[in-house]
Amino acid sequence: MSTDSPSSFGGDAVPAVPELPTLRESADYIRKLGKPSAAEVLESCRLAGRVALQPRCGVGGHKEMGALLAQLERDGRADILTLTIDSHTRLLRFDNAARALRADPRTLNGYPLVTHGWERGRELNESVAPPMEIRHGSPDARPLFQVAVASGITSFEGGGISYNLPYSKDVPLAHSLEAWAEVDSVCGELAGLGIIVDRELFGTLTAVLVRVDQPGGEHAGGGGRGRRGRALHLRLLPAERPAGAGRGRAAGHPAARRRYLPAGVQIHAVLHEFMGVFPRERNHAEELIFYGALTARLGGASKMITKTYQEALGIPDTEANVAGLRLADIANSELLGFVSVDSGAVAEELEWICREVAEIVEPVLEARNLRSGIVTAFAEGKLDIPFSASRHARSEITPLRDPSGAIRYQEHGGLPLSDASVKRNRRLLAEGRPGGPARPTCSRC
Amino acid sequence: MVVLGVAASDSHAVANHLIAHSLRAQGLTVVNLGTCTPVSEFADACELYPAAEAVIIGSLNGHIHEDLHDLADAKLQGRINCPVIVGGNLSVGSAKDESSTTRLYELGVDHVLAHPDSLVPLLDSLRAVGAPVTRELVDTTAR
Repeated sequence: MSTDSPSSFGGDAVPAVPELPTLRESADYIRKLGKPSAAEVLESCRLAGRVALQPRCGVGGHKEMGALLAQLERDGRADILTLTIDSHTRLLRFDNAARALRADPRTLNGYPLVTHGWERGRELNESVAPPMEIRHGSPDARPLFQVAVASGITSFEGGGISYNLPYSKDVPLAHSLEAWAEVDSVCGELAGLGIIVDRELFGTLTAVLVRVDQPGGEHAGGGGRGRRGRALHLRLLPAERPAGAGRGRAAGHPAARRRYLPAGVQIHAVLHEFMGVFPRERNHAEELIFYGALTARLGGASKMITKTYQEALGIPDTEANVAGLRLADIANSELLGFVSVDSGAVAEELEWICREVAEIVEPVLEARNLRSGIVTAFAEGKLDIPFSASRHARSEITPLRDPSGAIRYQEHGGLPLSDASVKRNRRLLAEGRPGGPARPTCSRC
Repeated sequence: MVVLGVAASDSHAVANHLIAHSLRAQGLTVVNLGTCTPVSEFADACELYPAAEAVIIGSLNGHIHEDLHDLADAKLQGRINCPVIVGGNLSVGSAKDESSTTRLYELGVDHVLAHPDSLVPLLDSLRAVGAPVTRELVDTTAR
């Protein structure tokens, strides 16, 4: 087997992680650890009327990771901490991760948890008070999830569509959907043992935009037992530009999701500060960071994932990461209570988002076998994403900002949008552009 | 004709799509291997498309050195005979120094670009001097 090819993709083999504790032992450990879960932290922040703060953070070395977490807890006052996983581990390139770790841990762009092992995972988990989330990008996250649970970490991002298409080139969707269904099935088993795993899914990256949403899709195979108690954390559109319509779109997503989920599922909206190319100059970067944080507050997000003024340069140092958290927290200030959004524009946008989502996902949800329905829909372009990293989406759609800053479909490819939706997207893109029709003063007209 | 792709552990797709679009708009034939492309796949493409003038590899996640650890081998075996061009975010972390570029040359990369705007002028200059011309290979495995 080549060290460069994730040979288990496409097959059924699960890369084995040696010497793991049993699920029951891990559940006992998590209970004894006695840390609040991510879901509990989000709920308490919501009751306190503030958006929870979470940085991205992951470095290769174990000691360095511990020091980074400690400082982000102490100085950054993060509500939830992160283990960002390196790219090799995400793609099951464990040999590459191990070689880089031996040669120079600083060359890794995240913490190789599988390579370090669950005992070190527990060390990190025990060293900080806030709950930790694994953030990664793994089309097949089974080994990583096993090590995360053994480490007592019960917040885990990703899903079979959203962690496949933007994160790998040639992993069949059927494989990633099956692999993530196994992860969700284990979440169900853990729920039976009294441990609720926080499963965060995302539908968008700023550039890889539009609806990779999987209402039901990711969880249809998740097994019944864990579903009732499981908290689903759903990510919103990242902050874009100071535009009412843009904020309206951000606020609209959770409602669109709730329609397709069973009653009793907790939903938290998560906002990512701007995910596109950042300005290099600190002042401009910080304007963008603060704007994102304010959008999280105004959009009613439960949590925001922060950025730093070093975003344009690479992975930030600890000081910049701390500064990003403190800056974002200013948006939680009561002094900003006077800032509001155009609720009429939000309501209008929400209505259209729900309509577009229905047009795209409801035909897929009617499939007798949901997983194969999803695979077929992507093959036919009826589900699609722009700028796909994967060959398993046709990538025939192109997003474009309208003059207000909101993101619309310029090309909608094979998505089964209604004529009314297509016309509205075209009209909003044309209005206010040079040579285009004038933009109405009332956004509802 | 050029062979384009993103390094093996890297799934950043947007710049890759845009660079392919831009090169095609300027009349080049682009064999775009897309994201997560190991050296072996670049080599296979070079064998399949012997007219390729260059292999252009993007990397944004800072893992380019590990991802190209076997580039020199592929060149020594004669599987990649045209110049190899690399650009992007070439190291992890926000503090950058020259060593990340120097190490790429040691791995067998011929040109390291700071900006995608330099790509077409570089290809033009390679064509003018009758490329394919690669830097003299250093056999790193022999050391």
